Amino acid sequence: MAGRKCRVRFNVGGKIFETTATTLANAGRNSMLGALLDESWNVRQPEEAEYFIDRNPACFAVLLDLLRTGELHIPPNMPEKLLFREALFYGLLDKVRAARWGAFDGNRLHLASSVSGRAPGDGTAIRAGPEGGCCVAHGSMVHVYDWMLEAHPPISLDFQQVNDVGYIDAGSIVITARERLGKGDGGMGVFSASTGELRHRFRVTHYDQVKSFTAGALSFSNADRKIFTSCKGRCNEYGIAVWDQDTGEQVDFFYEQLDCSLGDADKLQWLDADKCLMVATLFPRRDTSFIGLLDFRAKGVVWSWSDANASVSASLDEKRVLHATAVEETRSICVVNQYDDLGFIDLRSHAGGVRWSSRSKLMNRKAPNEESCYPKLATHDGQLFCSMNDGISVFCGPEWVLTSTLRRSFGGSICDFSIGGDRLFALHSEENVFDVWETPSSPII
Amino acid sequence: MSAQKRRTFKIEAFKHRVEIDPKYAERTWKVLEHAIHEIYNHNASGLSFEELYRNAYNMVLHKYGEKLYSGLVTTMTGHLKEIAKSIEDAQGSLFLEELDRKWGEHNKALQMIRDIMMYMDRTFVPSSGRTPVHDLGLNLWRDNIIHSSKIQSRLLDTLLDLIHRERKGEVINRGLMRNITKMLMDLGPVYQEDFEKPFLEVSASFYSGESQQLIECCDCGEYLRKAEKRLSEETERVSHYLDSASEVKITSVVEGEMIANHMQRLVHMENSGLVNMLVDDKYEDLARMYSLFRRVTDGLSTIRDVMTAHLRETGRQLVSDPEKLKDPVDFVQHLLDEKDKYDMIISKSFNNDKTFQNALNSSFEYFINLNNRSPEFISLYVDDKLRKGLKGVTEEDVEVVLDKVMMLFRYLQEKDVFEKYYKQHLAKRLLSGKTVSDDVERSMIVKLKTECGYQFTSKLEGMFTDMKTSVDTLQGFYASQHAEIGDGPTLAVQVLTTGSWPTQPSPPCNLPPEIIGICEKFRTYYLGTHTGRRLTWQTNMGTADIKATFGKGQKHELNVSTYQMCILMLFNSAERLSYKEIEQATEIPASDLKRCLQSIACVKGKNVLRKEPMSKDIAEDDAFYFNDKFTSKFIKVKIGTVAAQKESEPEKQETRQRVEEDRKPQIEAAIVRIMKSRRVLDHNTIVTEVTSQLQSRFLPNPVVIKKRIESLIEREFLERDKADRKLYRYLA
Repeated sequence: MAGRKCRVRFNVGGKIFETTATTLANAGRNSMLGALLDESWNVRQPEEAEYFIDRNPACFAVLLDLLRTGELHIPPNMPEKLLFREALFYGLLDKVRAARWGAFDGNRLHLASSVSGRAPGDGTAIRAGPEGGCCVAHGSMVHVYDWMLEAHPPISLDFQQVNDVGYIDAGSIVITARERLGKGDGGMGVFSASTGELRHRFRVTHYDQVKSFTAGALSFSNADRKIFTSCKGRCNEYGIAVWDQDTGEQVDFFYEQLDCSLGDADKLQWLDADKCLMVATLFPRRDTSFIGLLDFRAKGVVWSWSDANASVSASLDEKRVLHATAVEETRSICVVNQYDDLGFIDLRSHAGGVRWSSRSKLMNRKAPNEESCYPKLATHDGQLFCSMNDGISVFCGPEWVLTSTLRRSFGGSICDFSIGGDRLFALHSEENVFDVWETPSSPII
Repeated sequence: MSAQKRRTFKIEAFKHRVEIDPKYAERTWKVLEHAIHEIYNHNASGLSFEELYRNAYNMVLHKYGEKLYSGLVTTMTGHLKEIAKSIEDAQGSLFLEELDRKWGEHNKALQMIRDIMMYMDRTFVPSSGRTPVHDLGLNLWRDNIIHSSKIQSRLLDTLLDLIHRERKGEVINRGLMRNITKMLMDLGPVYQEDFEKPFLEVSASFYSGESQQLIECCDCGEYLRKAEKRLSEETERVSHYLDSASEVKITSVVEGEMIANHMQRLVHMENSGLVNMLVDDKYEDLARMYSLFRRVTDGLSTIRDVMTAHLRETGRQLVSDPEKLKDPVDFVQHLLDEKDKYDMIISKSFNNDKTFQNALNSSFEYFINLNNRSPEFISLYVDDKLRKGLKGVTEEDVEVVLDKVMMLFRYLQEKDVFEKYYKQHLAKRLLSGKTVSDDVERSMIVKLKTECGYQFTSKLEGMFTDMKTSVDTLQGFYASQHAEIGDGPTLAVQVLTTGSWPTQPSPPCNLPPEIIGICEKFRTYYLGTHTGRRLTWQTNMGTADIKATFGKGQKHELNVSTYQMCILMLFNSAERLSYKEIEQATEIPASDLKRCLQSIACVKGKNVLRKEPMSKDIAEDDAFYFNDKFTSKFIKVKIGTVAAQKESEPEKQETRQRVEEDRKPQIEAAIVRIMKSRRVLDHNTIVTEVTSQLQSRFLPNPVVIKKRIESLIEREFLERDKADRKLYRYLA
């Protein structure tokens, strides 16, 4: 009797399915199936009842299998979009997304998809969203894609040049833009990822006066609910602005000091362990590269590095730091130069220089006529990623050994890439196409 | 197929999507609206979830999300207005019950409506920036029920009235209260704004009134008990039916009204205030006061200040009470008892609070040093405890007492004065062989050493060494002289190192010939074993046991001082001797001689001599006879022991002078030490440095320091700076 009670019969679009209440419990109360079986809807139902659902039986079979095993297997003849639509009906779309690809591992990535862009011109930036979506900035437009890689209405900034983009959460995108002379626009705003509407515009005030400004690089601290942006105003209001993610109000402004350029920064990176912000202003934006750590509690630059002294005897062949990323695990900052050499700066010492490792030079296979992009760096979970021409190299271990290379044959060199939501997105400059790399779910045994 | 293909292509105008029946949306919404009615009317069993869900889904899919959402708001609002009416109509106590019941029903309905609208909640709501269905249901409940004009104030009044009744001792339905407050909490800030704020205000006025009333009719202990009870009641109330975040707020209201506002009055309450509690050792009341006052600002410091003032006052009385000063042992015992009393209070009632211990210590330090005889008395107290013959005192007990004494010692500013007296008393104990045990003596010295360092006790230790060597020497002496001594008197010699002992040189008296012989033998023996030394007899410090036969053949053993022995021995060959004759024969200094004679001739029961004329005082022309009729029920008679006594006024002056004299080199040494390392210093800094260096021994007087500096300048250790007269310069 007890066993029978736990069995549940469905008639989905004419096809009979039988399963157990335990399997269905995996769907959760906040799903259509959870509500269907809830006792408040079954006051008078006889025990042998059959639930009729007027939906596609083939998709239901796939989803029921997902509830049974936690794995997703889409038959080749079933369009993904169809399955996604059905999953949304049942309230199981989150489960489908979670089963779609595995936890991120730079050495097990495979190319899941390539999405060709429509926008003309070079892409500025690509950013991964927390739930597998991404957005691509081109000129004054930002194209938004959800995790199903469906394009949402693009965000248009009325011909203001977009400098950087970033996600607060899966539904909200922050965009920084350049101020145009005499227009008093530019700045920074939060937009809805699904509709592209402007939700909030950030303001910078100096001595209680609202100022127009150009916002540059972005970084987020999700633990402290803060947003950091490099800002340039008209009247020397150069520095790093700090906003609250929830209220959208400015909470701090760190003015640029002598010998450290902050308002022009190319890259900001919040370091959770140190509660510091890494600010990097690099060649070619400035002739001398500067990297510093800001501590907002102490209101000071607690660590800094610059090649200002080294470049006295500047020559064209000199190694220039072109991009930087902090590697918190090893307490160092990784940099890259125009020869694609990786270099490391120790965060624990204040007088250290760059320790270049030229091993990566072996990887250098620059085609002579190809227009190349500057290399970029990123870290994720103890792995280091570096884009070089049309590929991305993955380095692992304490010695940062090259372990994988992600490369696709067309699209030109990679101008930007981003890791997030367990996916890696790489934007190619020439064909305006971006690749989606993900880790397949674990093997069966 | 091919025929078809060949047909000419015709480009048709772009067709709009298949138009749905325009009435479709209206019809579908009617179904859903009906379902919502049925759900609110508890008639949902006939509804099909699948159908309703599909309908809601279709409306959203076909872009009627807006209509669905606004329809939901309208329908739900309508139902809530009806509910509001039925709650308003509820009479008296049924009001809360009806509210609770309807809240439960609304929640259930809301859950089911949310189930139906789940697809809308997932898609339409976030993209259009609307409030999700569940929150919408709560907001509508808040706006239509809780904030309805006829319910809002009635609800607040009912809740506050119930709490008031409970405070007055009535039993109320706590379960219902919990449900209602839980509802307010679920509605977000409603709990704080619509309930908590007025609740705290009403509570403040309630407790302000109650405390006013209580303080008029209760004594302090009673009041504190009631306040404590009220506090725990409020905490319990919070745990039963209020938000846990309210606990801090309501207790701080009670603390403010019942304690902080009446703190001074409570502490100083006549006949029952803090001082009375301290006097009567009311540990429980004190502990209660401590734990309650700790909750408010300045609470503990209020207690501490009153306690300190009281302690200082009683202490001052104690140390200046002329009655108490008569008996040093009693005096110190009183101090110790006082300390024990307060230690007990602090440990039992004040949670061993460090700040209270510090207050206690500083109070003791304050009043012990008010009386400059305290060092002497404490030493006398130790002497009393360490003397043999103190009955019923085990070594362990003595240890405990010593530890306590050390505590008092720590409070002393003039530790060197104590040292002086302690040395004297120790010398007397050692020489008269009256110490309770060497171990205890030594442990006392170890305690002093840990407290004040090696220097402080080096001489005391020297005294012990002398005692031990003396025993060895004496053994050696008797072993070597065994044959020659024969039947003569036995000699016990203690060889004292000059300087270690607090002896004043006094000319030796003439010893009886019987003794002289053996003394000479000892001198020869000692000087034979130790070359280059000088022996001087300290006859004023010795004792002797002599046998005497009185009339009727009564034999007694007399325990006397060396001086007394010399006097008595004279009567072996004479029946009558005048004072002058005795003085001549013995050469004992006059004051000592008079005292000795007084103790062997004028004290009843010990008068082995008879004096003529029979008066209390000794005069120069008195005559003395051997008292043949002397009787005593003891075989052993102890005569005129030289016990440590409280010093007389002139002696006190003398000791003080010696102490002052001893301080001079210490102050000078300190000045030189400081100047040697600092080279140049101004006057005030030297005084501060010297004071801090010597603090562990005594508090040097700045005037004395100035004199010592002048003396050092005279002796060319220092010089005044040529340019700045305030500066001193060290001369190497």
